[in-house]
Amino acid sequence: MSVSRRGFIKLLGAGTACLGLSKLGIDLGPAQAYAAGLKIEGSKESISICPFCSCGCNTLVHVKDGKIINIEGDPDYPISAGGLCAKGAALRSLHVSPNRITKPKYRAPGSAKWVEKDWDWMLDKIARKVKDQRDKDFVLKNEAGLEVNRLESVFSLGSSQMSNEECSVAHQSLRSLGIVHMDHQARV
Amino acid sequence: MPKAILIDTTRCTACRGCQVGCKEWKDLPPVATKQRGTHQNPPDLGPYNFKLVRFAEHMEADGTVKWNFFPDACRHCIDAPCKSGASIEGSIIQDEATGAVIYTEKTAKEDFETIKSSCPYDIPRKDPKTKRIVKCDMCIDRVRANLLPMCVKSCAMGAMSFGERADMLKLAATRLVAVQKEFPKAQLCDMENVSVIYLVADDPKKYHKFAVADASDAMKGAPGMTRKEMLAGVFAPLRKATKQMQG
Amino acid sequence: MTQHYTDIANADAVLIMGSNAAEHHPISFRWVLKAKEAGATVIHVDPKFSRTSARSNYHVPLRSGTDIAFLGGMCKYILEKKLFFSEYVLNYTNASFLVGEKYTFKDGLFSGFDAAKKKYDKAAWAFEKDEKGMVKRDKTLQHPRCAINLLKAHYERYNLDLVSQVTGVSKENLLKVYDSFAATGKPNKAGTMLYALGWTQHTVGVQNIRLAGIIQLLLGNFGVAGGGINALRGEPNVQGSTDHALLYGYMPGYHNVPISTWKTLEEYQKANTPVTVDPMSVNWWSNRPKYIVSLLKGWFGDNASAENGFCYNLVPKLDPGMDCSHLFIFDRMYQGKIKGGFLFGHNPCQSFPNSNKVRKAWDKLDWLVVGEVFHNESTDNFKRPGADPKKCKTEIFLLPSAYRAEKEGTISNSGRWHMWHYKAIDPIGQARSMGDMFTEIMNRVRALYVKEGGALPDQVLKHQMLEKFNAEEVTRRINGYFTRDTKIGDKQYKKGQLVPGFANLQTDGSTSSLCWVYCGGYTDAEGNLAKRRDLTQTPMQAKIHLYPKFAWAWPMNRRVLYNRASVDMNGNPYNPEKAVIAWQDGKWVGDVPDGPAPPMAMKGGKYPFIMCTEGHGQLYGPGREDGPFPEHYEPAETPLTTNPFSAQMSNPCMKKATTEMDVLCANGDPRFPIVLTTYCMTEHWCSGSETRNGPALLEAEPQQYVEMSPQLAAEKGIKNGDFVVVESLRGKCEAVAMVTVRIKPFQIMGKTVHLVGMPFAFGWTKPKCGDAVNRLTTSVGDPNTTIPEYKACLVNLKKIAKATEL
Repeated sequence: MSVSRRGFIKLLGAGTACLGLSKLGIDLGPAQAYAAGLKIEGSKESISICPFCSCGCNTLVHVKDGKIINIEGDPDYPISAGGLCAKGAALRSLHVSPNRITKPKYRAPGSAKWVEKDWDWMLDKIARKVKDQRDKDFVLKNEAGLEVNRLESVFSLGSSQMSNEECSVAHQSLRSLGIVHMDHQARV
Repeated sequence: MPKAILIDTTRCTACRGCQVGCKEWKDLPPVATKQRGTHQNPPDLGPYNFKLVRFAEHMEADGTVKWNFFPDACRHCIDAPCKSGASIEGSIIQDEATGAVIYTEKTAKEDFETIKSSCPYDIPRKDPKTKRIVKCDMCIDRVRANLLPMCVKSCAMGAMSFGERADMLKLAATRLVAVQKEFPKAQLCDMENVSVIYLVADDPKKYHKFAVADASDAMKGAPGMTRKEMLAGVFAPLRKATKQMQG
Repeated sequence: MTQHYTDIANADAVLIMGSNAAEHHPISFRWVLKAKEAGATVIHVDPKFSRTSARSNYHVPLRSGTDIAFLGGMCKYILEKKLFFSEYVLNYTNASFLVGEKYTFKDGLFSGFDAAKKKYDKAAWAFEKDEKGMVKRDKTLQHPRCAINLLKAHYERYNLDLVSQVTGVSKENLLKVYDSFAATGKPNKAGTMLYALGWTQHTVGVQNIRLAGIIQLLLGNFGVAGGGINALRGEPNVQGSTDHALLYGYMPGYHNVPISTWKTLEEYQKANTPVTVDPMSVNWWSNRPKYIVSLLKGWFGDNASAENGFCYNLVPKLDPGMDCSHLFIFDRMYQGKIKGGFLFGHNPCQSFPNSNKVRKAWDKLDWLVVGEVFHNESTDNFKRPGADPKKCKTEIFLLPSAYRAEKEGTISNSGRWHMWHYKAIDPIGQARSMGDMFTEIMNRVRALYVKEGGALPDQVLKHQMLEKFNAEEVTRRINGYFTRDTKIGDKQYKKGQLVPGFANLQTDGSTSSLCWVYCGGYTDAEGNLAKRRDLTQTPMQAKIHLYPKFAWAWPMNRRVLYNRASVDMNGNPYNPEKAVIAWQDGKWVGDVPDGPAPPMAMKGGKYPFIMCTEGHGQLYGPGREDGPFPEHYEPAETPLTTNPFSAQMSNPCMKKATTEMDVLCANGDPRFPIVLTTYCMTEHWCSGSETRNGPALLEAEPQQYVEMSPQLAAEKGIKNGDFVVVESLRGKCEAVAMVTVRIKPFQIMGKTVHLVGMPFAFGWTKPKCGDAVNRLTTSVGDPNTTIPEYKACLVNLKKIAKATEL
């Protein structure tokens, strides 16, 4: 039985595929009545990557009816051959956790509570804060009179949770504001 | 063709991918636990934990530390004592194609104590909500779809292999020879009688009380019984009889 | 990693030190086990016996913070017993280079030390050069100032007795490790070193790794299959986020951030472009000007031209010596100098050292923008136990972040594999990717600057940015484009074509690339190579577990760095059974070689260590802040009152935070006699802010614990499972006692030193699971990196009847 390397996604080349039982080669046995069916049957399967350590284990994410119903290791990833540690094995629960932050939230000065706000309100307020702080504190020259063009009173921390593309955009954004106090997990 | 799982504990790093992967695939609810001075958690198998990595540590006389890991779950006995002990038709069935021993919803009507005590590996548990008796089903849904059981799939260490029983027996023998070079006491646990075969590097009792079939309960009621007899299913009816006698 | 994960299987010896690979990089261990089953010796050197130790051939406990003493002893052993790979050492390392006369080392200090500034003048360590500028060499290795002779002299003091006394490792165990690992000094043997935060998180972190590098050079273990120095990097994309430099001191691609004294691009290029007169040295960093200009073109697009220095003046500049790392971010935040900021996927109130200080500093912010998946100790710091929200003035904007399967893009694993992940589903609720968040914020800030003007609007507005985040397009921009029709050699490129590799990047502005190391990963011919999933190999590649067509690795799909050191001067592999590259019929086969030049002995041949200015591996390394050779110093907090190696107790250059909350114990403080080391867990991810929301994970590891030896437990009247409070000069932390034979007391300089270990994954936002162990740790850091010393500080502990945090 060749179950260790399935590899049909590789053939499709698109990174996603629809999972039908015919592809899995289902074998109906006498215990049929016990197990009603395979929960990932008919789901859409996509390749993702575990967001924890730098082993970068590739995963297969199964989506059905607009919900992630399963995440397991990708047998084609040479490093893991389809395995996952405890954290990787918990990925479905983490993605669908009721504890996820699903809406923008605002905390006013002195308040003990979060208040839900819409994205536009949040982004406008943030842009205003950033600009006002930059305009107020921007340093054109240092004490020696040399040009520095920097903003010292605003920091950025994070994140190695971001993709390369997000890191690239983040770095450019931060430098375009003159921010110098920037750091992330590579140092902790 | 019956299947088997070989669990080579000399490759297990106790990453617990299997323990968590099992819960995730089965959608088993969380259990509230406490830190009790060990990494083994939950403390034992339970109605919502069909797979549990057991941790056992000790120091040898020469000061060497040993830390044994045992990913415990149902052995899917070839002649399952629990099946023999069942009194309701269809509550405990054995899938011919795989050899998986399966507890159906009808187990809710079984006497839990009888089923539990019939198991020489202390596997069956009762779900307080559904009243069903529950345990690992070898991911029969996955296996039928030509997928690996989730614990085997999760294991990146190569500590778990799944396949035709004949192939697994061959693999077990090969691995035993290789492992014995480093660990002369290495052995295969109850290989002839079970579909989930453990390879351990040392005395099985240094891994888990029930790493090999434990007849101690049975002995109380039926002294003189061998492990083989017990595994052959002789035990369960006897146990029932003993219980009746004891009133 | 100089190698990649699957390469570990090729090793004959695996030294895991400063890492608990089986627990913290669980899947890496698949390849360690493969090596072991093929006959390799797997050695774990670490303060505690862990799941890694359980699967190693043997475990050797050492006192946290004494790795240099341990490795210094190994270095001495290799040199004295002549176990090094002499041909490799002579040809490929700077063993024969003559060090200048100004170099000295006396009683713990190198020459050039300025005691007031706590800084060295590195000019005192320079090599001796001839009138043409060539480094002087003595290939007979007789000259006393040859690097290798200075190395030998330096580690003369690191004898077995002293090393054993300081590290707490028995002499027998020292010899066992030294023998096992030094056995890889043969041409056809390879030893790999796997390390992680157990080496970096010390005030001598960089020098721990330097010394490992020195040993690997002596043994000829760089470039070969199963060799190398392998950082098992922490976070999911910490390799990529470092490449893209989310760090104050670098720009993407490992270029220093400008400082004020480099006033123009020319001055910057001059100061940052190393020069050699040796024609056989590739001196790769001589290409830096091409990468800098291409980066500036990528950032500023058509606004950047040769005439305006490619907008160099719009890049913010630091003052010389200015440290803006988190240690000092929190100093300045505490002092009220930092007013607001961004926090994305990070939990400093839990994961940064001396977190009582960090949490207080956090209260002082005026505003904070957070992108997160879950609430954590940093998002909700204002309502932490004991805090009054009314007194916290911070306005917080908490943005819901998409999780991994809800977005697409690339990450880079530790082996530099650049891999694409697909979006499986739309983000939950109103969540968005962090790429979207930055883009949307910048769109609005830019609009305000267009409308209102303000401080230096050009810095904000001259950048060429996407108005809608698109991972695929950013991947192309990272690779880089031709900005105009260009001819390179006899090949014509059109404007808008992708640059096929970083060798084509130019200094004249005709190319762009947002990070040169990734250039070549997205081509017009083959598309996005990070998406490749082809597992085919040549037989030569199969022998060493090389998958050259699965995804893509930087640089230029090279899987093993410095692979030209795996062959002799004629291009023949030192280990033909596990060849990485080989020179056959006038060309290289196997892995992508470190440059196309023929073998070193042939015409046009080049030295193998192409990133080093002089092309040689650096036994003597004059580039670090704290010395050309690693030297043992005690951690900033130590149970000892003297350093038996020298009069210098701790690293003379270490960085220290400066507020009144950043207190340190006196050496050997009797109030805090126990060494604490801290770590991650298998079941929780770093600060635990994500994984504490995984029910099966919290079930497996529910609460803060402290691991201690039965001997310490007996001394303190503590039983397994008891509640205890662990205390340092900076704070307290409650924990459940885990009394275990896996921790042993150390015998150090004639007295018993106890060590305890605690994970940092448990925080107050998950009720009754405990709170930050970092309330105990110290805000001190390595002088090169400012990475804090999480791995060693002093504590005491006692049993408590009732816990409030648990």
